[in-house]
Amino acid sequence: MANTVIGSSIVIDGEISGDEDLVIQGTVKGKISLKESLFVEGSGVVEADIETQNVDIAGRVTGNIVASDKVELKTDCRVVGDIKAPRILIADGASFKGNVDMDMKER
Amino acid sequence: MATAKDLGASNTVDNTVVGPSILISGRLTGDEDLTVRGRVEGELTLSRTLIVEPSGVVKANVAVRNAIVSGVVVGNINATESVELTREGRMVGDIRAPRVIIVDGASFRGRVDMGDVEPGRLPAERPVVARPTTTTRPTIRPGATPPRPPVPPARPAPTPPPAPRAAPAPTVVSRPVGKPLPPPPPPAPVAPRLPEPRPAATEQAGGANAPTPMLMGAGAKKKVVVKKKTR
Repeated sequence: MANTVIGSSIVIDGEISGDEDLVIQGTVKGKISLKESLFVEGSGVVEADIETQNVDIAGRVTGNIVASDKVELKTDCRVVGDIKAPRILIADGASFKGNVDMDMKER
Repeated sequence: MATAKDLGASNTVDNTVVGPSILISGRLTGDEDLTVRGRVEGELTLSRTLIVEPSGVVKANVAVRNAIVSGVVVGNINATESVELTREGRMVGDIRAPRVIIVDGASFRGRVDMGDVEPGRLPAERPVVARPTTTTRPTIRPGATPPRPPVPPARPAPTPPPAPRAAPAPTVVSRPVGKPLPPPPPPAPVAPRLPEPRPAATEQAGGANAPTPMLMGAGAKKKVVVKKKTR
């Protein structure tokens, strides 16, 4: 269960960190570091470097993503940046530009 | 609330929540309610309500419409409507808002600025106005408005009896009646004292017996007066 939600009219310019799931429906610029899952919903806009366990993206993300478990790009998402994670899923319809790195050893 | 609608499609949550383990440092702006259970540091600007829950910590300059502080706030709050420090609220900083509520148990250090103080004491007048109407009731009060109907019957009943009495009185009191004749004039003046009721009573009485009504009228007057009070 996601305890934290950033609503669609919210704009955060700075850094978010925490140990719980985070749902972003608004705009976040800066940096996000979590130990749980990050959900960027359809209305969500992230211009930040992301460091989490899981990332689930349906909105827009600009920035580098490092996940310890999985990154999933859903249909209609738009992602620009490098992704580094052991598991990376890109759904049909997703828009992505950047490097993908699934090398576990490097992590 | 368009935002809520937008959100509704994608998520069940209506407003923004910062969970207990979350730290946001930087600048946060928005047009919706924000609930803080974690930490927010930096600058916080909302066009709606900020709710700092007991586990929440806000170290920021806050500009919002309403703020409800049950947690910790360190920084200045500038609210366009109200700021409320609840029993669990702790705050250090200045508050500037037209309405500031600090309840017992809250901890606060700082300045409060409610702007221009406007003592709109209209309520005081209202009570007064209400009283006049109520004044008649004091006796009836227990009954209030609804009871009135029942109560009046009780008192009116007495009054009606007077009428009957008036009728009998004439016959019985007819003896004293001799004097009543002169009194008639006084009754007329008296009538003014007891505006409506008396006229009616006197008229009725008069209808029954012109002379007797006078005496009866006197007795009736008192009782009638009661009627009016009740009414």
